Amino acid sequence: MTNPFHLGWFMSFRPPAFPDQWVGADAEEWTDGRYYEDFARSLERAKFDYIMIEDSSMVPDAYAGNSEVDLKHALYAPKHDPMALASLMADVTSRLGIVATGSSTFYPPYLLARTMSTLDHLSRGRMGWNVVTSSEDRAAQNYGIDRLPEHDERYDRADEFVDLVSQLWNSWEEGAEVQNRETGEFADHTKVHPIDFQGTYYDSRGPLNLPRSPQGRPVICQAGGSERGRRFGATHADTIIASAHGVEAMKAYRDSVRQHLVDVGRDPDSCKVLFVVSPIVAETEAAAQARYTAAWAPSDRRVEAALGHISAYTENDMSVYDWDQPVEELSTNGHQSTLAMFMKRAEGGKTLREVASAWSIGCLDLVGTPTTVADQMEKAMDYVGGDGFLISGASNRRFITEITDGLVPELQRRGLTRREYTHPTFRDNLLSF
Amino acid sequence: MCITTPRTPLTFGWFLNFMPPAWNGPWRSNHRDRWTDGDFYVDVARQLEAACIDFMLLEDSVMVPDTYGGTMEAELTYTTRAPKGDPLPLIPKLARATSHIGFAATMSTSLYPPFMLARLLTTLDHITHGRVAWNLVTSAEDRAAQNFGKAGLPSHAERYERADEYAALVKQLWNSWDEGALVMDRTEGRYVDHTKVHPINFEGQFHSSRGPLNTLPGPQRQPLIFQAGSSPAGRDLAAKHAEVVLASMKGVDQMKAFRDDIRARAAAAGRDPDSIKVLYLIQPIIAETEEEAQLRAARAYAPTDDNVIARLVHMSSGDVDFSQFDLDAPLPDDIETNGIKSGIDNLRRVAAGKTLREAAASRMEAVSLVGTAESVADQIDAVVAEVGGDGFIFFGGGGGKLSRHYVAEITEGLMPALQDRGLARTHYPADTLRNSIFPTATTNALEPTR
Repeated sequence: MTNPFHLGWFMSFRPPAFPDQWVGADAEEWTDGRYYEDFARSLERAKFDYIMIEDSSMVPDAYAGNSEVDLKHALYAPKHDPMALASLMADVTSRLGIVATGSSTFYPPYLLARTMSTLDHLSRGRMGWNVVTSSEDRAAQNYGIDRLPEHDERYDRADEFVDLVSQLWNSWEEGAEVQNRETGEFADHTKVHPIDFQGTYYDSRGPLNLPRSPQGRPVICQAGGSERGRRFGATHADTIIASAHGVEAMKAYRDSVRQHLVDVGRDPDSCKVLFVVSPIVAETEAAAQARYTAAWAPSDRRVEAALGHISAYTENDMSVYDWDQPVEELSTNGHQSTLAMFMKRAEGGKTLREVASAWSIGCLDLVGTPTTVADQMEKAMDYVGGDGFLISGASNRRFITEITDGLVPELQRRGLTRREYTHPTFRDNLLSF
Repeated sequence: MCITTPRTPLTFGWFLNFMPPAWNGPWRSNHRDRWTDGDFYVDVARQLEAACIDFMLLEDSVMVPDTYGGTMEAELTYTTRAPKGDPLPLIPKLARATSHIGFAATMSTSLYPPFMLARLLTTLDHITHGRVAWNLVTSAEDRAAQNFGKAGLPSHAERYERADEYAALVKQLWNSWDEGALVMDRTEGRYVDHTKVHPINFEGQFHSSRGPLNTLPGPQRQPLIFQAGSSPAGRDLAAKHAEVVLASMKGVDQMKAFRDDIRARAAAAGRDPDSIKVLYLIQPIIAETEEEAQLRAARAYAPTDDNVIARLVHMSSGDVDFSQFDLDAPLPDDIETNGIKSGIDNLRRVAAGKTLREAAASRMEAVSLVGTAESVADQIDAVVAEVGGDGFIFFGGGGGKLSRHYVAEITEGLMPALQDRGLARTHYPADTLRNSIFPTATTNALEPTR
């Protein structure tokens, strides 16, 4: 008997899957957020734990030295601010967790702490923060920083950033807001404390100018797959987004995260590892297989978009390589584990075209009918041990519905995913099984 | 029934913040225990929109002051500046509940990274369908700077130099995508034409940013810029960048002099003076009869300890501790501040010949409006005739904190009387805040500062 597992969705506040079929007026109207309101409602209907809004802050130009490929395919840009979208999504849902990405490299800590706390209040306790350290110099330059700190130093800074922000969230004790009409006292000042934080990288006096939010500390989400990133995640995160190819790698990843949790003195069940997948679900096996073949065909368009993405991620110009030659060794100060996964797929002298067209951050190839995909997910979770999946993929209403109204009901029928939210706040739901 | 007159309606806004509504007066909000969920402000936004108020100005500050008496106790009793939620995440919620009213978000040039500010406002411009504005502040409190890891703020003069450069940078980011960059060519599979998207490579004395912005231009492209500093440096900044200027001058002579000065400075900066609206802060007290209104005003501004201390706590948000002064003696002459200079000047203006207690209990706004809806509308009419002003911003709760009751007195009492006189709108004339406030828009404001 497989234990029940969790579901999340990985997306960003960007155009839906242009120019695919099944994207109509949303291709232009996505900016007002209404498409994403419907998206969030669909996930709540399917009892997802959370929706995670990824983010980045640049228009890349690493590929061929200009932004053509990025803007043509709308890869990184345009992308709008996730904090504003989180507020909209919170307003149209009542139980779904909402995770917004905020960079520890670009945000002033006090601002991040306050915006997150405000969102936790507005959502009545359903906010999460995806902590990223940012990995692109181009993004840093938009913030007046020439070059990012080295990979590991970014995590040292992020450790301190999260400590500071957590102290601000705790600077108002529970029950500080008394609203005593007899004494005229709004808040008990003896329960509100400066934090006088003085770190190596950051200082803040505090207290926060806002009472403690419903969760106190919003759910912390994290995705770094490097060794340093995993240690960071184990120290702070309530949920970890994982990309590892195949069930063996998935199991090894989760085991490693759980060991790190034990090493820092935490209960390994206090952090949920969710694996990225993009299921292809159709009425018949044959239809699903046909869509899979079409989706992964090594077309010029697909290869160009994949290489544009890799270029932006790693700030290497992938346009200089011959697509039909074996892949050369690459290095980066950016997304190290992502690049390592890419290079691993190139083993055995595969060509750039082959590797690029097959490249994804997905953990498993899930293809079939709702029944057979549910079988595959059940089997994978049985082997890996937990804790669930993070859906990503072509952003359009058809794909969302295939998952929320096709696949998920089958998972629910088997008792594998949530049928009802049992708590009002995000963290309590996330940790309820 | 509205009487149609050929007069040009004035612009009206409401100045408020994401703070606890009235919780301890006669008209307590029944949201007082859960004001942080924002529902109270949704109701207020709807009330204001029903009265065709042009915008809500969401004031902000980022600290719990402890200047008064060297402790947070008085601040957390009287809640003059804290607690206060971040106004930015509140805006999408307010926007969902309304369709015309604008939202001016206060964001500090001393504390926000410029790229983040430009991007967030553009995102909100899309979400609100063109109803967002930026209330540019430089921040005035060292305590706020200390929350952001700085020992203190730069000097008053340097803050304004920085703000000038900051605004120029932000405008360049807003113009880093040309018209027509979004092509959505399905045949070619091209979403955006990259030749119409440009780095700005801004290298200033205080700020730098490579750009371009990673957002599509919003419906307004450049959200309106609001500004409130009334010192000479503040006025120059307003004349250069602002489209709406908030003024808290006292009396019609000063109101007129201020507006004339801003318009002259705008002209000197090469702008059309009509591309700036000068709006005065007012807090009318309205009742069914004149007598009742006078009684309420007397109560609201009585020199009781509570009224006086609340005001002095509010005044103590910067670097001057007002608890040290004798309440029953005149205000000392030698107070120095690096904070809100005009705040102390205003107090001094009303304090002439008065004790601190009397001065602190005085009304500070431009004109002290008290009466029935009809008589206050007449007073406003007379002020406009003399000052030639562009409009007004309501604030506060008539001597106390905000309640639906006070909002309704304005929206359902005063506004209809102003509408009858042709002084206020009966409908929103355009689809964006910019076009609503400037129906015959000058292009002046839209030109980037290169």
